[in-house]
Amino acid sequence: MNRTPVLEIENLCARVHDKEIIKNLNLTIYEGEVHAIMGPNGAGKSTLSYVLCGKEGYEVTGGSVKLYGKDLLKMSVEERAREGLFLIMQYPVEIPGVPTTSFLKYAVNDIRKHRGEPELDTMEFIKMLREEGKKLGIDNEMLKRPVNVGFSGGEKKRMETLQMAILKPNMAILDEADSGLDIDAMKVVAQGVNSLRDGKRAMLVITHYKRLLEYIVPDVVHVFANGHIVKSGSKDLAEELENTGYAEFVKDIA
Amino acid sequence: MSKIVLKNYADWQQDDTNTTFCPKLAILREKGRQAFLSQGLPTPKTEAWKYTKLRNLSDEEFVVESDDKNSFHCHDEKCHCHDEHETGSHEHCCCHENCLPFEVYEVNFCNGKLKADHFHTTQGLSIVSLTDAFENGDVFKYLNKSFDINNFPFAALNSAYLEQGVMIAVDKNFNDDKPILLNFHSHGDIKRLSNVYNVIVAESGARATILEHYYCSGAEKSVYFNNIVNEFFIGRDAYIRHYKVQQEAFKAFHIALNSVQVKQGGHYESFCLQLGADLSRQETQVVLKEPHAEAEVNAVYKMNGWATLDTTTDIKHISKETVSHQLVKGIIGGKAKGVFQGKIHIAPDAVKTEGYQLHKALLLSDEAEVDVKPELEIFADDVKCSHGAASGELDKEQLFYLQSRGIGEDEAKTLLIKAFTDEVINKISCTAVAEWIKSL
Ligand SMILES: Nc1ncnc2c1ncn2[C@@H]1O[C@H](COP(=O)(O)OP(=O)(O)OP(=O)(O)O)[C@@H](O)[C@H]1O
Ligand SMILES: [Mg+2]
Repeated sequence: MNRTPVLEIENLCARVHDKEIIKNLNLTIYEGEVHAIMGPNGAGKSTLSYVLCGKEGYEVTGGSVKLYGKDLLKMSVEERAREGLFLIMQYPVEIPGVPTTSFLKYAVNDIRKHRGEPELDTMEFIKMLREEGKKLGIDNEMLKRPVNVGFSGGEKKRMETLQMAILKPNMAILDEADSGLDIDAMKVVAQGVNSLRDGKRAMLVITHYKRLLEYIVPDVVHVFANGHIVKSGSKDLAEELENTGYAEFVKDIA
Repeated sequence: MSKIVLKNYADWQQDDTNTTFCPKLAILREKGRQAFLSQGLPTPKTEAWKYTKLRNLSDEEFVVESDDKNSFHCHDEKCHCHDEHETGSHEHCCCHENCLPFEVYEVNFCNGKLKADHFHTTQGLSIVSLTDAFENGDVFKYLNKSFDINNFPFAALNSAYLEQGVMIAVDKNFNDDKPILLNFHSHGDIKRLSNVYNVIVAESGARATILEHYYCSGAEKSVYFNNIVNEFFIGRDAYIRHYKVQQEAFKAFHIALNSVQVKQGGHYESFCLQLGADLSRQETQVVLKEPHAEAEVNAVYKMNGWATLDTTTDIKHISKETVSHQLVKGIIGGKAKGVFQGKIHIAPDAVKTEGYQLHKALLLSDEAEVDVKPELEIFADDVKCSHGAASGELDKEQLFYLQSRGIGEDEAKTLLIKAFTDEVINKISCTAVAEWIKSL
C-alpha cells in the first residue's frame, strides 16, 4: 500500500523562553490516520501543538516539519491554517467585541480563497454554520456572542469542534478536546470528530484519558515524555497507561 | 484679509480687523483679543496644555479672511447690507448630500465660511447664520456665557475674529432623529486660519442630533487651522446628541472647544472620532448645573505618523444627582502621540452624583506614545466616582487565535481594533450615525 504522509516531523527541537521543551521528536502521520498522544502534565504536548501552529515565542531550534511535503516551519501562522492545519486549543481565548459569526466568516473565506474555492456569501455561510452548529448542540444565540466570551468550558470545546467542522482541515490537532466536557458533551464532540474521519483527514489527539479514545478510536497511541515520543503502540497502550501511569517513562530518561 | 503668525501675538496690539458696526459684537471681539493677548500661547508650562506641544502651529503664517463691514448684517441702523450677502449657493465641492448614507439638515462651511444664510428647517428648528443672529441680537445672551474666555486661549482667539458660524435653536416641537449636519470642508492650499463659532440652544424638552464633519479634499498636504468653538445650552429635560468626525488633512491643525451647560433633567450625549490633523485637540467642558443633568462624553482617536491628538475633558457636577460617563479610546501607531486629560469636578452641593471615566489606548508601535492625566476633584460626600486608564498592545493570544484560523495578520489586527473601538461607537444612540462611523 502506498500511503501518503500528511504530517512529517523529523528530529524536531524547540524551546520556550530558553527552556528546551521538545527534544528530537519524530512522528509521521499518514492520510486517514488518527494518532493519540498521552503524557504527563508539563511534558510539552501543548507546546508541540503551538510549535506546529507557529505561535510567537515558540522557537524551533532544530529539525523539520512538513505538511503534505511543504515546509511548515517557513509558513506564517495563517498560512499553516490555510494549508490545512487546525488546532483545537486546550484553552481557547476569549475575544470580546468580535462576533463569532463574523470571525468565522472571515476564517472560512480566507481559507476558501487560498484553496481557490469561491467565497461564501453571508446567506450561504450562515446556513452552513447553523447546520453544523446544530449537530454539535450550538444554538444561534451562542453564534451571535463574541468569540468564546462567557462560554463554559464545555461550550468552548464544542465551539472549537464546530470550527474544525467548517474549516475542514486536512491535519487536525485536538489538544485535550475532552477537558471540561461532561460525558454527554464528550460523546457529541467525539461524534463531531468522527464524522470528519473520511479516510483522508489526519488527526492528532492529545488527551489524558482513555475514555475519549474509546469514542475516537486511534490507529496509534504514543507516550510523550521528556520532550519526545518514548513509546508507541496500538490503542491498547492507552489501557495499559491507565494502570501503570507514566513513572516508568519519566524515570527512564532522567 | 490679514495675516497672523501666532507666536508674534504680542505685536497684535492694534486691531484693524474689528470693523463691525455692531457695538456688541465689537466688544466681544475686543474682549476675545484682550483675553488672547493676556493668556498668550500655551507653553509646556501651561497646565492645561502640559502634554500637547503646539509645534509649528505657532510659527506658521496664517491668512485670516473676514468679510468687511459691508457684507455684515447688523441691527445697527447704519448698516444696509442684506442684498450683498451670499444666499443659498451650494458649491459642488460640498458633496455631502451624496456621501452620507442618511438624511440630514445641512449647514455647509467651505474653508471656514458659511456657504449660505438660508437653511432648510422645520417646525421647532431654527438655524441662522451668526451674522443674522447678531442682527437679531438674541445670540448675545449666549456667546461666551458658558465658559470663561480667560481660560481658553484659542477660544479667545476665535472670539477676536467672531463672525462665522451658526446659531441653532430647537424647541420641544422639534423631535427629529435626522441629524443637523455641520459640514466643514477644507480645500486649496492657502494657509488659512478659520474661526468658527456655533451656538446651540435646546429649549425645554427639545431633542436634536448635531453632527460635525471636518474633512479635506484635493490637497492632502494642505496646512490650515480650524479653530472651533461650540456652545451648547441644554434646557430642562432636553436631550442633545452631539457627534463629531474629524478627518482633517494630515498636516492641518484642529482645535475645538465644546462648552456645554445642562439644566435639570437635560442630557448631553457626545461622541467624537478624531482621525486626522497633525495637531488636534478636542476639549469638552460640561457644566451639569441642575439636578439629574447627565452627560456622556465618549471619544475614539486613531492616528499614525507624527500626529498629536488630544482629548481633554472637564465635567463639572455642580448640582446633586447629576451623572457623567466618559469612555475614551485611542489607537496610536507610528511616532504619534495621544493625550487624554480628563477631569471630574464634584462641587460640595453635588451629593449623590455619579462620575465615571475610563481611558484605554492601544499602542501599535514601539515609538507610539500616550500621556494620560486623570483628575478627580471631589468636594461632596455620598458620590460614586471612578476613573481608570490602561494602555497596551494588541493581545497576542487573541491575535494568534484569529491567525490560527486562517485569518491574515492585518485582517486579524483590524478585527481586534474594530472590537476595541466598537465598544465606544456602540454607545452612540443614533444607529445611522453609528453605522456610518463604523464604516470609516
Ligand atoms: N510561555 C511559557 N513560558 C514558560 N514556560 C512555558 C511556557 N509554555 C510552556 N512552558 C513550560 O513548558 C512545559 C510544557 O508545557 P505544556 O503546556 O506544553 O505541557 P503539556 O504537556 O501540554 O501539559 P498538560 O498536560 O498539563 O496540558 C511546562 O513546564 C511549562 O511550564
Ligand atoms: Mg497541554
